[in-house]
Amino acid sequence: MMHFDTKRGLRALAFAGVAMAAPLTSLPALAQGSDTLVIARSMDVNSLDPQRAFCDTCQFYLTAVYETLVTLAPDNKSLVPNLAERWEVNDDFTEFTFHLKDATFADGSPVEASDVVWSFERLKNLKGSPSFLMDGLVGAEAVDAKTVKVTLEAPNGEFLNKVSAPYGGIVNAEVAMANGAIAGEEAATEDKAEPWFLANSAGSGPYMLKAYSPEAELRLGRNDAYHGEAPGFSEIVVTQISDAVSQAQALETGQVDIAMQIDPDTASSIRSDDVTTEVVPSYNFLYVGFIPGAKGMKDVLTPEVRTALALAIDYEGVLDFTVGGAGARQAAPIPNGFPGTAGLTPRERDLEKAKEMLAAAGAEDLKLVAGYPNDNIYGVDFNIMMQKVQQDFAEAGVELELKPLTWSVWRDELGAGEWGVTAIYYAPDYYGSGQYVSYFGMMEGFPWANRAGVGDSALVRNETEEKLYAQALAASGEEADAIYAKIAEEMMKEAIILPLVSPNLVLAYRSDIEGVRYSACCNLPLAEISRK
Amino acid sequence: MLAYIARRLIAIPFLLLGVASVSFLLSQMTKGDPLAALVPERMMDNPEIVAAVKAQWGLDQPLPVRYGIYISNLLQGDLGTSFATRRPVAVDIAERLPATLELVFAAMIIGTIMGVGLGLLSARFRGSVFDGLARIFALIGSSLPIFWSGLILLYLLSVRVALVPGTGRLPPRVEPPPDVTGFYTVDALLAGDLDLFAQALAHLALPALVLGWAVSGVITRLVRSSLIEGLSQDYARTARAKGAPERVVLINHALRNALIPLLTILGFTFAYLITGAVLTEAIFAWPGIGSYAVRGAASLDYPAIGGVTIVGSIAFLLANLLTDIAYAWANPRIKVGG
Amino acid sequence: MTAAPDAAPGAVLPAPRRRPLVGLARAWRRLPPTAKVGAAILLFWVVVVLTIQLWPLADPLKMVGRRLQEPSAEFWLGTDALGRDVFARTLHGAVWSIPIAFVVVACAVAIGSALGAVAGFFGGWWDSIIMRLVDVTVSFPPILLAMAVAAMLGPGLLNASIAMIIVWWPIYARLMRAQVLEVREREHVEAAVAGGAPSGRILVVHVLPLCWTPTLINATMDFGQVVLLAASLSFIGLGATPPSPEWGSMISEGATRFYNWWIAFGPGMAILSVVLASSFLGDGLRDLFDRRSA
Repeated sequence: MMHFDTKRGLRALAFAGVAMAAPLTSLPALAQGSDTLVIARSMDVNSLDPQRAFCDTCQFYLTAVYETLVTLAPDNKSLVPNLAERWEVNDDFTEFTFHLKDATFADGSPVEASDVVWSFERLKNLKGSPSFLMDGLVGAEAVDAKTVKVTLEAPNGEFLNKVSAPYGGIVNAEVAMANGAIAGEEAATEDKAEPWFLANSAGSGPYMLKAYSPEAELRLGRNDAYHGEAPGFSEIVVTQISDAVSQAQALETGQVDIAMQIDPDTASSIRSDDVTTEVVPSYNFLYVGFIPGAKGMKDVLTPEVRTALALAIDYEGVLDFTVGGAGARQAAPIPNGFPGTAGLTPRERDLEKAKEMLAAAGAEDLKLVAGYPNDNIYGVDFNIMMQKVQQDFAEAGVELELKPLTWSVWRDELGAGEWGVTAIYYAPDYYGSGQYVSYFGMMEGFPWANRAGVGDSALVRNETEEKLYAQALAASGEEADAIYAKIAEEMMKEAIILPLVSPNLVLAYRSDIEGVRYSACCNLPLAEISRK
Repeated sequence: MLAYIARRLIAIPFLLLGVASVSFLLSQMTKGDPLAALVPERMMDNPEIVAAVKAQWGLDQPLPVRYGIYISNLLQGDLGTSFATRRPVAVDIAERLPATLELVFAAMIIGTIMGVGLGLLSARFRGSVFDGLARIFALIGSSLPIFWSGLILLYLLSVRVALVPGTGRLPPRVEPPPDVTGFYTVDALLAGDLDLFAQALAHLALPALVLGWAVSGVITRLVRSSLIEGLSQDYARTARAKGAPERVVLINHALRNALIPLLTILGFTFAYLITGAVLTEAIFAWPGIGSYAVRGAASLDYPAIGGVTIVGSIAFLLANLLTDIAYAWANPRIKVGG
Repeated sequence: MTAAPDAAPGAVLPAPRRRPLVGLARAWRRLPPTAKVGAAILLFWVVVVLTIQLWPLADPLKMVGRRLQEPSAEFWLGTDALGRDVFARTLHGAVWSIPIAFVVVACAVAIGSALGAVAGFFGGWWDSIIMRLVDVTVSFPPILLAMAVAAMLGPGLLNASIAMIIVWWPIYARLMRAQVLEVREREHVEAAVAGGAPSGRILVVHVLPLCWTPTLINATMDFGQVVLLAASLSFIGLGATPPSPEWGSMISEGATRFYNWWIAFGPGMAILSVVLASSFLGDGLRDLFDRRSA
């Protein structure tokens, strides 16, 4: 998701991290036995209001402070009860009934059906970034104090997955309303609670917001009234350290307990025995996107040319270059391990065929421009990735001019169709392939169809995908998986979105910490972490 | 004289209005999309979300209306709301200003001590090798790209020999002292926590030194040249004729001559550094208004840049005024005005 | 910006009219050694810029070896994260930094001096308007103004240059205005006015030739400061964009890999050498021509 503050130059902001052992002073308090968990990361907070926020930091903050009805099990596949102890779904996936367990908010008041209804309505009506989770919501009603019935206008076999996203967390409606929050239709303009949520929280989770200082520190305190098992720390501090090297340093010296954004390159340089590093596959990926609707590209970036260019890329080489091989290739714009990806084979390079196809298409002296955000995401530097693509294209006789841009300029130029090639990234909000289809699918009215067509989505529209997607939403289990697999193949055939790297994630923490894992919905579940 | 000061004082609000208007106009001429800071990339194609955000932030109003709102808010001390932190810019700046001021004060103290010391010595031994070296040292100080020297010094002193801690104001596990002045060093002392004081000081040392070196460059040159000028004045000759040793002449007579220009340049440097410490703050992850502005500039958070610009301009204008007044007061011959 | 101009009215070079070359040679001999070193360093960089194609250097944009290698006999300043030769990139960086600084200083001098001369010579409304413009511009903290303008225009060296010209022109406007005001009072100008010569002609023929010394000294000093500010803007991502081997953006690349100190070392030394050289030279010139503010 977004890292507005990680622009290239800005990465330098805190490159040196925090103190090493400092002989000028007494040794800084070390972690041992401390009841405080310190986490280093570059924070990308855009809000702490659960129904407005949309960022990686928000994912684990919200998970610790607010609770969802259902949540994702550690296998990153199955859904398990959370605030809802059980639920029923009707046959066509339009009605969902949740039965709440006995739980209390941090102020001691019970979590009731009315809070769920209020939270879902506010999520929809605020029209904030995560409001798509409530797309198609007809209504939520409190059947009784502990039962909620949600009705959708169209089948959605993924709705349960959607409400497992951290943004689906249930808010203490009474407290929030007392502080300016509104759930009604007028919420988008009348709700004034955002500042309050930057300093307070109103959830039922094991932790509460203690203090937040933008770009410096996020402090959580234990919720002493927590209805479940008490969490492992009395306090959690997320401290702003912008880059991987500094995070590693802070970790090695015991200044922090967990470093969240260490890239595999840096991880291999950690020598301290007190630090554990685990490398796990992630569900994040970076991709190149073609924009046939860009200026002068309509007759240039034809399906044949796009396929040829896709064959010209040295995917293994890209992995080596960007993450030193510590990552995976990915076939379609749905991350490995998500529904429908099991049988897919990633593209291989075939330079000869690429050249042939380009010649057949009469595109021997092709010149393209790639505009992309000048940023570093999930340990991958876009410039490095695109320079590799530039080299690969050159071998196929295609000249690629690189234009690294700030986010704001990138968006402007993307909308204006200034260039035919771009590169960007995606991280999941919940476990489910629908979010990818509804983003990357070349379907009328969906984001990437508009982007690739620059307003004229007919140029890239794929009606097969539209039909398949409707089927997938009305299905579940293996049936849905099979349909998603077909959609993935369609998306590969289109050759508009070319996933290049799914970088591995490094879980790096002090060896006296346990319970650190990566979750597809929630990033880092803080409540599971404790000190040995 | 008084009329001159009054005229300058009256001009300041108008200049600030000019600054505010130019900042506003600049923000309206942006090439990029300011919504980038407000709507995540994934949601930027969703017209509903974009419309809701525009309405919430008043971006859907016509330009003159927005200008009117901006100026009238400014008059009430409201610098707008930051796109990135979602908090009032005035609150953000108030929270971050003490960090900047602490760094700037520390750098000024170091710079003044180094500068006056070197200036004195090189004036005393003018023409010697020491004089030459001192001048070169001073020049290097003001020529160094701080974002590079800071980097190299951090690498050497913090990574290679672990002499100083790294970036930031305190280690992350350490809680800041109770807020009195906002200066961690001072507050730690007020709280009687020597250990905390030592940690805060250790974090402050390197950035202050790097910035102080740059300051010392200006001061050395100023002190040296005004001392040399002072030494050639009649009173210095008289003192020498009465048998005062050169050291005494230098300190008692010539240094006095250097005092007014020194004070004015210090005032000016101070105002300049409030925003001029931008790169030092950036490289040392110092949570002041400089790193706030850098982040704002990169993400087109123009309420944030505008806010820092206005605060910086106020400091700048006042310091300029004081400098001019001090000059006019010290040298009544100089025609003021123009 | 530390080279704040000491507005030094009246510092006028007794123009060596007849034999400029002899004058120049004499001036060179009278320069302090530091200034000569400065001149030599600047000359070196100019030569690098003009002859960069002739040097036996690796391609600054191509991968030439294993990435992140330490300095060695083969790669004098090591290789960066993309396996490019840092030494070659550092020298190539001059091709970006040096010409840009020339252009920025030249434009700032041209715009500032023209406006300053008009303000000083014609006075009245011209003076009021131009000097109020100057006042507002210098009310901005310089680095913030540059950052704001560069951010708004979008990153890129052209935009960064425009931002820097906006920052610097008022200095030259004030400098030139003060000079013109002083020279205007001189006898030969008053004689020309009394003789009924058109005022534009008087300005160009009788006034301006006597006004250039402080401007030139300042421009020399500012040259290095412009290189510094341009690199700063690139460092925070508002100037040159990768993969161009601009010094500031190279340092920014080095800053995120700061165990690999060599990535940032070369470009930093290069910036330092230019800034220092121009201060040395500017200082020397000032000592020579303008003894009052020495």
